[in-house]
Amino acid sequence: MKKQFTGRPVLPGNVEGEARVSRKGFNIYASFFTSIHIKSDKAICADGGNKELFGKELAGKIICLPKTVGTTSGGAVWQRLINLGNSPIAVLFSEQIDSLAAGGLIVADIWTDKRIYVIDQLGDEFLDTVKNNDRIKIHQDGSIMING
Amino acid sequence: MDFEKLKINLTQDEKEILNRRDGPVMEKVLRTIVFYGEVLDADRLVEITNSGHLVITYAIPGIAPSMEMLDELIDSKMKVEKSFTLDPKPPLDFENWNLKPEQKKLLLQMYADQKEYDKKMLLLGLRDPDACTCTPYLMEVGNIPKRGDILAWSESACVIYANSVLAARTNRNGAIIDLLSNLAGKTPLAGLLTDEGRKADWLIKITTEKLPVPQLLGAAIGEKVLAGVPFIKGLDKFLGSGINSRTRDYLHDMGSVCATAGAVGLYHVENITPEAIDFGTDLITEDFRTYVIGDDELKKPEDYISGKSEGRTPKPEKCYLGCPHFSLEQLSWWSQKIDEGLKRSGQKEIPVKTTVCAAPQILKKFKKSKAFLMLEKAGVKFSFGCPLFDELGEGESIITNSYKLHTYTSAQFYPDDILLSMLFNQKS
Repeated sequence: MKKQFTGRPVLPGNVEGEARVSRKGFNIYASFFTSIHIKSDKAICADGGNKELFGKELAGKIICLPKTVGTTSGGAVWQRLINLGNSPIAVLFSEQIDSLAAGGLIVADIWTDKRIYVIDQLGDEFLDTVKNNDRIKIHQDGSIMING
Repeated sequence: MDFEKLKINLTQDEKEILNRRDGPVMEKVLRTIVFYGEVLDADRLVEITNSGHLVITYAIPGIAPSMEMLDELIDSKMKVEKSFTLDPKPPLDFENWNLKPEQKKLLLQMYADQKEYDKKMLLLGLRDPDACTCTPYLMEVGNIPKRGDILAWSESACVIYANSVLAARTNRNGAIIDLLSNLAGKTPLAGLLTDEGRKADWLIKITTEKLPVPQLLGAAIGEKVLAGVPFIKGLDKFLGSGINSRTRDYLHDMGSVCATAGAVGLYHVENITPEAIDFGTDLITEDFRTYVIGDDELKKPEDYISGKSEGRTPKPEKCYLGCPHFSLEQLSWWSQKIDEGLKRSGQKEIPVKTTVCAAPQILKKFKKSKAFLMLEKAGVKFSFGCPLFDELGEGESIITNSYKLHTYTSAQFYPDDILLSMLFNQKS
């Protein structure tokens, strides 16, 4: 189903990719626990507590989530993934971005030369609508199109 | 940076720094904090009033800043004004972890840069080489913020403790932003730094028959409220009013799991935590949600055994205790229980290879006790390191009383009483 949502462009840009959806809080550190140690073009979700994403590829994908949860060690993960070349291409929050994710993604943006695009405040309906493997187009102005 | 487009209010001094008055690196540091504040809807930045506690102990990019980034900061002569403490060191004290040769080799490879990294942390303002623990706020360690202090702490277990039990104010800062904030001496006035952000949007009613296992209660609360602020009613009937060492340790264990299972950075406990004592239910917002936690609501230990344990022998090979690091009182409690277990089972040595973790300052004190000699004789090892590494137990069956350790490694979580039974090969 084709559907458009608009949020706040936190780290704006235009990009298109495949959705990976976590309807519960996304644990950054647990999800990328193995990916940050290995130079690879893959980033398989290692969070056994996340039934929706455990074992799924996250590199080059668009992560859709309400907020991030878990240890503050997760803050450095984004920078590392960018340096390794296996980061997601975008992160879409249904709620306002939390401080842990904000800090990590902004540090990665300012202290590396690659951007992970971020939009927040897309609303609960966005997360009710989007499904794993949906195609998502992200626009500079904070709007996104699912399966458009 | 185009200041005019930002909603956050900047001082003249901040604008001058962003115009590179103090050099390009300081500009980049402050730009990061300003943008962080902008995204968090901060009105402005505020001065940090007490020492930091930072999560970035390990010389592994992805957990800590890259060495290149640290060099950039050090070369620009950057150092925090108030010295900081750090999370526990990596488990490089191999003699305390019962490791196989290949595990030691892997850890040495992973931490090849650790000594160099430690030097850099001292240059940036680490208080001393032993200021590394996830319980910096214990008296023996001494990084104890005052009520109302403005902090930029990380380490989720420390953030939630500082906010809730000490009534200091810090957001849940992540790795690297913690260091940059303390270098800048500023943090955004947003979220948990504001009176509004410290209001509870969840009322948690505890209706259990007895005091819940802190880890199980923390998991239930964290998974339900995510990043919310819970006001917890019903714990005082088990714990009494105010803070004492028992309550401190209970809240420290419960809080660390609230922050792992969810993203909780602050909780209030009726008649126990400082702000709840002073303001009571006035701390609860008008549109709060309610969550009643009875005995049926708490997960059973077997619920925590995930697919990660498939293929493992159920017989435990190793046990890790002290994540977060134990207090002296917790060390004493475990000493007593292990002593009782040894006597009851007629064994001289603990059958499962066990490592107990606590802050260097705590272990120094504990090592003067008879309890330490008893445990050492029973084969228990002690470390001021952190067990949060899957590499410590690759392919092994590890048990722990730490939900946090269970979340991030293959270790299996069990509450204290069940774990004790397993240590001595008894059924629970």
